[in-house]
Amino acid sequence: MHDDILYSIRKLVVEYTTRAGAVKAVDDVSLDIRRGEIIGLVGESGCGKSTLGKALMRLHTGPAKITEGELWFDGRDLMTLPIEEMPEIRGAEIGMVFQDPMTSLNPVQRILDHLTETIQTHEPEVSDADARTRAEELIERLGIRKERITEYPHQMSGGMRQRVMISLALALRAKLVIADEPTTSLDVIVEAKFLDLLKELQKEFGLTILLITHNIGVVAEISDRIAVMYAAKMMEVGDVNDVFAQPKHPYTQGLLRSVPNILLDGAELYKMAGAPPDLSHPPSGCRFHTRCPFVMDICREEVPPLEAIEGAQSAACWLYPSVMAKRLEKEHA
Amino acid sequence: MDNIGEHPPEITPPTETWEVELQKVSIVRRILNSRKWYGADWWFVAVSSVLVVIFIIIAIFPSLFAPYDPSALVGPSFLAPGAYPPVPELIVSNTSSANSLKDLAVTSDQPRPTISVVQGGNSAGALNDAAKEIDNQIKNESGGLRLRPVIDRYATVEEALQAVVDGKDTAAVVGSDEFVRLKAQYPTLREGESIAGGAKTAGGFLLGTNDIGQDVWSRLLWGTRVALIIGFSSSLLSLIIGVPLGLMAAFIGGSFDRLMSLLMDSMYAFPGLILAIAITAVLGPSVINVIVAIAVLYIPTYYRMVRGQTLAVKEDVYVEAARSIGARSREILQRYIFPNVIPSVAIIFSVNVADAILTGAGLAFLGLGLPPTIPDWGIDLARGQRFIQNAWWLITFPGLTILLVVLAFTLMGEGLMEIFNPKLRER
Repeated sequence: MHDDILYSIRKLVVEYTTRAGAVKAVDDVSLDIRRGEIIGLVGESGCGKSTLGKALMRLHTGPAKITEGELWFDGRDLMTLPIEEMPEIRGAEIGMVFQDPMTSLNPVQRILDHLTETIQTHEPEVSDADARTRAEELIERLGIRKERITEYPHQMSGGMRQRVMISLALALRAKLVIADEPTTSLDVIVEAKFLDLLKELQKEFGLTILLITHNIGVVAEISDRIAVMYAAKMMEVGDVNDVFAQPKHPYTQGLLRSVPNILLDGAELYKMAGAPPDLSHPPSGCRFHTRCPFVMDICREEVPPLEAIEGAQSAACWLYPSVMAKRLEKEHA
Repeated sequence: MDNIGEHPPEITPPTETWEVELQKVSIVRRILNSRKWYGADWWFVAVSSVLVVIFIIIAIFPSLFAPYDPSALVGPSFLAPGAYPPVPELIVSNTSSANSLKDLAVTSDQPRPTISVVQGGNSAGALNDAAKEIDNQIKNESGGLRLRPVIDRYATVEEALQAVVDGKDTAAVVGSDEFVRLKAQYPTLREGESIAGGAKTAGGFLLGTNDIGQDVWSRLLWGTRVALIIGFSSSLLSLIIGVPLGLMAAFIGGSFDRLMSLLMDSMYAFPGLILAIAITAVLGPSVINVIVAIAVLYIPTYYRMVRGQTLAVKEDVYVEAARSIGARSREILQRYIFPNVIPSVAIIFSVNVADAILTGAGLAFLGLGLPPTIPDWGIDLARGQRFIQNAWWLITFPGLTILLVVLAFTLMGEGLMEIFNPKLRER
């Protein structure tokens, strides 16, 4: 295991038990998150990206269950820890920022209580006064006047609440922050400011951020690397510049062409044919073959592995010789 | 610590002018001003809260307001509201030298004086009290005199007076107005002094007296105490049991939830009063048992409400956010779910108190639950209904009081519900 890798997801499978049977929302996904990077996880609604985000903290309840895989965080496999010990990791080492800042704060608690509770849950020896001082420093740093710390969430604007959510993750210097669509409910100006802030914080604190979003523009704006998910599978992973310049997977290509672009100069936007598959009955072989313009026979029969294509860029597509090579290798072995 | 870059401008929702004005005024003015926004609901809450406070004060200090002991037989029976009871006085023969009760005292070796009274009036009580008082005074004096009269009861005033004329009794004690009325028929009799015990009832009976001469007004005031004890304790008891059960069931879920819900729903399916009657019939009469019986009735109300709200709150993002910062189940229940559920519990509580008072009175009316020695509105109603044709005041006032208390609590609860939780209105 490399030292520069903070979180290594290996062959993760998350299943939802439904009346129609088990649905794999995350199917055999592997991803390495490097220390100090911002990695964008993109995909359409329902492709399993939020499920993956929650699985990193083992936050699942009810019908969802991690059935296979390893979650190596900072040298420990979280899957081998008893679930009772997970609260010690949550908040302290991995923080999370949720999509809707309007509902992700407890309406009957002041901002101060949110922060001091986070601090004192993990560091019970900290006195109330010290916790308050730390909380005030923190929100001042995020651009909220410290007098407002005694206010309730409903007295703050959406952008401020989202900053409060970030401050909860920063309160204990979490190594990894999972931001699940943090800007979706903000308007574009607040969104831009928030992304700037995120970028600054990442440099300042040496944060590692997993940015889950369906907005590819957001990823282009601040991410170092990008991971593309489609129908519970990881399709392509690579540096942002490489992937945007030369997308390897046909899905990524389609995705990028369907984003409005100033260079398109009035030409029609590309429309990807078809719709994402029903995950309770996923298509055989490559999940994308039903919509892929380059579909081949093998695509319908075998699932392509995620393999390095060029440099740090990898994709799961039979179009590339290295993926084919892997298959042959397996057959020989 | 340095702030990073420029502060993003704080975006706050536009402030309404009334909000600005609101910040400038004191809390009392703010409450008063709120009547403009809540209209009728505000007035309901204001008026009914005052009533509730009055009832609570009366329930705590009934002795400050009640003129008489609620269970003492203080007056004549069936005295109408506002009527004054006759002052009992001593009637003796013209030839007798005795003028007051004290003059009838004799040494213990002599036969005790017999005194005639009319059944059912206040004379006997007054006579007894006065005789005891005088006896206590004189028994320690020298001479060894005692006053322990033998009381002869007669059905009518005429019979009682005739007994004195005939020499059967030493004296009679009858109301002064009755003697004035009959004076002409009994020329051989004269008035003595009035009986001291009668002075206590001279103030009259505001709401009349009942069939055995108890003061209706005093019983109403003392009945407040029992009613509120039953109302508050049973609601509190069912809250203490129902709320945690609802929280646990919704939070734990699974088969525990299903089992509890089945149990609670089957309790809820029972007609309320029937269940309470069954429980009190098994447990026997006492205030505690009534409280327990009524509490059992209302546990499902709290359970269902809290369970529903907890299920909703549990799915809120801030609960998941709390787990993502490492909060454990107990903290989530305590700090996230409970505070968000409790406002509706408080509102249900005040409506529930009213309901419990009504059920308690209903049980007492049926003769179940409360021992008959306790002054209670339900018991008064049950006793008074037999005399409805000639003593309307026996059931009118307890009935109106129950109405008023229940109305006050209900209006307060419903009004608070409208103000604090408009969403509940639709349920």
